[in-house]
Amino acid sequence: MADVDHDEEPHLLEEDQFLQEVHSFSFWFEAIEGYLEDRPRGYVETLGEPTDSKTMSDADRDQLITTLCNYCVGESTALEASSGLVRMAPNNHSRIFLATQVADEARHLEVFLRRLEMLGVTNPEAEVEARAASGLVEFRKRLLDLVDQGDWEAAVFAQNVLLESMEDTVFKFHESVADTITQQMLEGVVADERRHLGFGENDLGRRLAHDPDGRSRLAAIRADLDPLVLASFDSVYRELGLSREDQPQLGKEYLATVERLGLTT
Amino acid sequence: MNGPVDAAIDEVPPSSFQPESADGDEPPRQRFELEDTGFKEVPKRWRKFYRIWQGEGDSLGPNEVICPVCKVVIRSHREFRPGDRVYCMPCMSRMVVVRRPDGSLEAEVTY
Repeated sequence: MADVDHDEEPHLLEEDQFLQEVHSFSFWFEAIEGYLEDRPRGYVETLGEPTDSKTMSDADRDQLITTLCNYCVGESTALEASSGLVRMAPNNHSRIFLATQVADEARHLEVFLRRLEMLGVTNPEAEVEARAASGLVEFRKRLLDLVDQGDWEAAVFAQNVLLESMEDTVFKFHESVADTITQQMLEGVVADERRHLGFGENDLGRRLAHDPDGRSRLAAIRADLDPLVLASFDSVYRELGLSREDQPQLGKEYLATVERLGLTT
Repeated sequence: MNGPVDAAIDEVPPSSFQPESADGDEPPRQRFELEDTGFKEVPKRWRKFYRIWQGEGDSLGPNEVICPVCKVVIRSHREFRPGDRVYCMPCMSRMVVVRRPDGSLEAEVTY
C-alpha cells in the first residue's frame, strides 16, 4: 500500500502513489469488505426469504433462470480469461490487479449459481449449458482464443471494456427491477465492475497513446465482436419482459468508452 | 448525507491544486467539510471523497465532478477549478478538470 497521509485527499497523491494504492490487494480487500461483509453469499441471509421471492410466478422464475444462466456464461468467461491474462500482464501492478479480478469473477459465478439452486435448479452446470445464448457462447470462444494467442490488448478490450460494459449496463437495469435477493447479488457485482471497467479503459488508453496504429487493429476486433455481445444482452432485456422502446440504451456507456479510446470506425 | 452540497467552512488559498491566478483576479477557493455518504466501494479512509450520483434531481457542488468512466461523483475538500487533477479510486481513473463552453466543470480522463 502507498505510504500516504490519511488526512490528505486522494487527489493530492502522486500518480505512482495513486496507482500503487488502487492496484494493491489491501485496497481491493478493504473495498469489497465494505459491501460484502454482511452478505457472504451475495445477499443478506438474516432477512429470510423475502415475499417477492416466495410469490414469484412460474413464468417469472423460468425467465429469471434463463437470465441467470447467461450471466453465468459471462462470469465464467471472465473468470477464465482474467486468470489467463495474469500470465501475460505487462507489469506487477496489472498482475496483482488481475488476481483480484479473478477472485471477483469467481465470486460472481458462485453467487449466480447459488441463486439458480435457490430457484429450484438441481443441476446448475447443465442448466447453464442448455440455456446459454449462442452469441455469448461464440463470444466466449473468441475471447479465450485471444487469451490463448497472447494478444493482451485485444483480450483486455474484449473482456474489460466490451463484456464488462455490457454486463454493467444490464446488471444495473436488472437490479432496478429484480426481486430482493437477486437485486442484492447484482448490487455487489456492479460495485466490482467499476474496477474492472476502469482497469481496461485506463490500460488501453495508456497503450494506445504510444501506439496509434493499435487503434485500427482494435477497432476491427471491436467490429467483429460487438454484434455477438450486443445481441446477447439485448435478449436479456426481452427475457426481463421489456419492449424495445422501454429498454435503456444498451450500448450508450460502451460507445462513450470506445469514443474516448478512439476506437470508433 | 446523499445530497451534493457540503457545508463551506471557510475560504483558504489552495495548496497542491492549480494555483490561483497570478494577478489575483480569482477569489480564494472555498473549502468544504465532507461527510461520508455511505459509498462503500473504496477503503474507509477514502469513502467521503466519492458518492453515488442520484440521477434526476441531483446536482453537483463546486467541489464535485462526475467520473466519465464509472459515473461516480468525485469530491474534494476544495472547490474545483480548471486544470485540477482528480482521481477516481472506484475505477482507478486519472482525470483533469476542464471548463465547458456553458461554464460547467467536467472531468476528462487522462491516460
